[in-house]
Amino acid sequence: MNAPANNLCVVDDDEAVRRSLGLLLLSRGYAVQTFASGEAFLAGADLQRAGCAILDLRMEGASGLQVFDALRAQDSPLVVIFLSGHGDIPMAVEAVQNGAFGWLEKPCNDERLLDTIARALERAGEIAVRRQARQAAQALWDKLTPREMQVARLVAEGKPNKQIAQELAPLEQRTVETHRAHVFAKLGLANSHQLDRFLREHAL
Amino acid sequence: MPPLSTVPPATSGPQPPPRRRFRTAAAWAAALAFALLLIGLAAQWAATREANFQADSIRRAMEVHVLGLRNSAGKYSYLPFTAGVHPAVRAALAHPGDAAVKQRANLYIEEVNRQAGSDALYVSDLQGLTLAASNWATPQSFVGESYANRPYFIDARAGRGGMFYGVGQTTGEPGLFISAPIRADEGAVRGAVLGVVTVKVSLRQLQEAWTFSRDPILLADARGVVFLSSVPEWLYATRRPLAPAELERVRHDQQYGARADFRALPWKVEREQAQGLPGYLLRTSLGGQQRRFLAVDEPLPDLGWTLTVMADHAEVTRARERTWMLGLLLAGVLLLGGLYWQLRERRFAEQRDARRDLELRVRERTHALDEAHAFRKAMEDSLLVGMRARDRQGRITYVNPAFCDMTGYGAGELLGKLPPYPYWHPDDVPRHWHHYDAMMSGQPARSGFESRLRHRDGREVITMVYTAPLIDADGAHSGWMSSVVDITEQKRAELRQRQNDEQLQHAQRLASLGEMASTLAHELNQPLMALSNYASAAKAFAEQGNRQLLVDSLDETMAQAQRSAEIVRRIRGFVRQRTVGTEDCAVSALVTNALALLQGEMRQRQARAEVRVPAALPPVRGDRVLLEQVLLNLVSNSLQAMQATPVEQRVVEIEAELLAGRMQIRVADRGPGIDDALAEQVFAPFFTTKAGGLGLGLNICRTIVEAHRGRLGFASRAGGGTLFTLELEISPP
Repeated sequence: MNAPANNLCVVDDDEAVRRSLGLLLLSRGYAVQTFASGEAFLAGADLQRAGCAILDLRMEGASGLQVFDALRAQDSPLVVIFLSGHGDIPMAVEAVQNGAFGWLEKPCNDERLLDTIARALERAGEIAVRRQARQAAQALWDKLTPREMQVARLVAEGKPNKQIAQELAPLEQRTVETHRAHVFAKLGLANSHQLDRFLREHAL
Repeated sequence: MPPLSTVPPATSGPQPPPRRRFRTAAAWAAALAFALLLIGLAAQWAATREANFQADSIRRAMEVHVLGLRNSAGKYSYLPFTAGVHPAVRAALAHPGDAAVKQRANLYIEEVNRQAGSDALYVSDLQGLTLAASNWATPQSFVGESYANRPYFIDARAGRGGMFYGVGQTTGEPGLFISAPIRADEGAVRGAVLGVVTVKVSLRQLQEAWTFSRDPILLADARGVVFLSSVPEWLYATRRPLAPAELERVRHDQQYGARADFRALPWKVEREQAQGLPGYLLRTSLGGQQRRFLAVDEPLPDLGWTLTVMADHAEVTRARERTWMLGLLLAGVLLLGGLYWQLRERRFAEQRDARRDLELRVRERTHALDEAHAFRKAMEDSLLVGMRARDRQGRITYVNPAFCDMTGYGAGELLGKLPPYPYWHPDDVPRHWHHYDAMMSGQPARSGFESRLRHRDGREVITMVYTAPLIDADGAHSGWMSSVVDITEQKRAELRQRQNDEQLQHAQRLASLGEMASTLAHELNQPLMALSNYASAAKAFAEQGNRQLLVDSLDETMAQAQRSAEIVRRIRGFVRQRTVGTEDCAVSALVTNALALLQGEMRQRQARAEVRVPAALPPVRGDRVLLEQVLLNLVSNSLQAMQATPVEQRVVEIEAELLAGRMQIRVADRGPGIDDALAEQVFAPFFTTKAGGLGLGLNICRTIVEAHRGRLGFASRAGGGTLFTLELEISPP
């Protein structure tokens, strides 16, 4: 869980808020990167690294929501927490419904702030693990030939070789059997059930 | 008889075509001919009838005359015989030379003649010599005269009775001679004629009787010689020329004296035989006059005469003429009647035409009236303006459908009504009476006035009423006509518009205030957030013993506190900026304007305001808009506070008075009041008891009031509710 905990970004155009948050999180042992605007954050941060981003909703330039949209567009694993000022709550709610982790109203007490951040980082860790597993699975999957991928999907559906041969004709049953063996060997799987779960888990 | 053909067939109107005129003339001619024929036939019939009648009268006269004649002749026929058998007569015959015997005979005969009344009676011997005569003693004595030539002597000498009319040879007097033979009644010569006795009868009396007859009567002998006539000129004229032998005979007989020739009767026989009648028609001159007679001959064979009786044919002619006259008169009367009838018909036809014309005109006029009426009705019905007429007593005499719709009452319910009218709004009755009295006094407002009516269903109808005097056809003032325009919608729209304007203005003011508050809130939130963070960090560093960072954190904390204070100062500065333009403000105007902005809200909340602001108060000094905003906020808070208060108690009381040289304005409500526990926070920023409130209203109000060197306070009210007190400086005089 080290890696995500080390990746905490605060984006707020108010320096006092930015600095105070940085100092607070530092006092709790978090490493924090601070950005003065959404543009600076999108340009400077490693968006593909799992972690937590605290975004102010109302900022000069790109607003918190716009930054959030940009992150989603890049399929970033970053978990997002919004900071909302007076009257921005409906916006924050909408953002949560669109996949943000949560929001904090300014001013808020430190316990709630820290608790939320902790839970966000925890989620970020989970996301990091899932991403790693999927990347590994993707690497294995990528070793298969296109024909083997076709055969693998049909096998995952539990179809017998004979039927697979008919569906992929002209293909002989013997060849299907060969492909099936190669798939199991390359993916390190034992049966069609495992193959099915593998494909589902990693969304292949 | 007017000439029919000259009577114009038509006296007026268009002349008929020639063909028709010709036919009319032909019809008239035929009618005329027919009428003439009828009249002619009638005249002929009348003439025939008259002729018949005359013939009858002739016949009757004839009978009378024949009787008279026979009587005159027959009366003496036996006398000669009777006288002849007398011995004195016989003795005279037997002894013609004995004077005494003859004298006796003379005396006897004279006596008989006198007794019988005849003209003369005498006895002749067989030679015709008169032996004895009744007139023996007169100078014209027949005695010794011979009448042997006379036919009556000849007849009697021959043993027959004789009758002869002639003029006496001795006397020259005409008369009828009747003779009889005297026969021997003994001896051997029994039956032999001894002598002749003759009686002469004068027919003068008969003739005299005849002269009295109206029409001529004449008696002719066998030769046609007239010897007795009612017309003297006709005596001894002949009906036919006499043959020379006959003439000779007459001369010989000396029948008519010495007359040797006989002229013909001055007649002209026109028709031998009148149709179907006996007798004949003749024309003659009588008394210098041309006359026509109907004559009938009656032969008297025993006497050898012919009696002719006449009747004036003029009667027949007159009858014919009379008939003609009558007929023509009748025809004339008929014609006149016909003409009159025609005239009357024509007049009747003219009258009928005139009547029809009149009827047509009346119908056209009625139609035009109907159309005008329909037009007027359509116009009235289409009017959206209500019309109402009243007579001089104020009685409703007319209402149109629009007026009925406006008030909800039918025309039948309104007509004849006197004020107060059922549609008067109960709240406005004095005003209605005022307008009514003004109208009755003859001064209706020409420019119209606004009048609130109540529809039958209870809803309010606001109208504009224009009234003008109603002048009837005679020019007399008979009442008033009012047009009533429904302006309810317009009024409502105006009210809505005003409310909208007020709300908009209110909203704008609130929005600007709210915007300011929101901005300030956001600005304050930043340092507050930072403060909180720094404080939390400081706490952590203190626990960790990281002194340097702890100090840094606390420094930052202080800086953020300063920043917050600065922001609050800026709010005051903002308010103060507004107070730069101070002016004198009338308290009543401030209250009125604030309330005007809250009209809509008050209505919506069913609350009302009671204002007690004396007019004589001095003005206060300050920013009018901000002060109004304070009042508006206070009243608005009061209204919102009374949400749960019963409707009848939802009253905001606003009072103003001068107290110790300062203006005190009080706004009181009957809301739930403010909890003592919260009393401290009422003016604090962000304090609110309202769900959607910012919590800045009272705070800002206080700021504004303090900016005006005034004070804003509140207290609980006896009997429930809150009383806000606003103290302000008054303008220096």
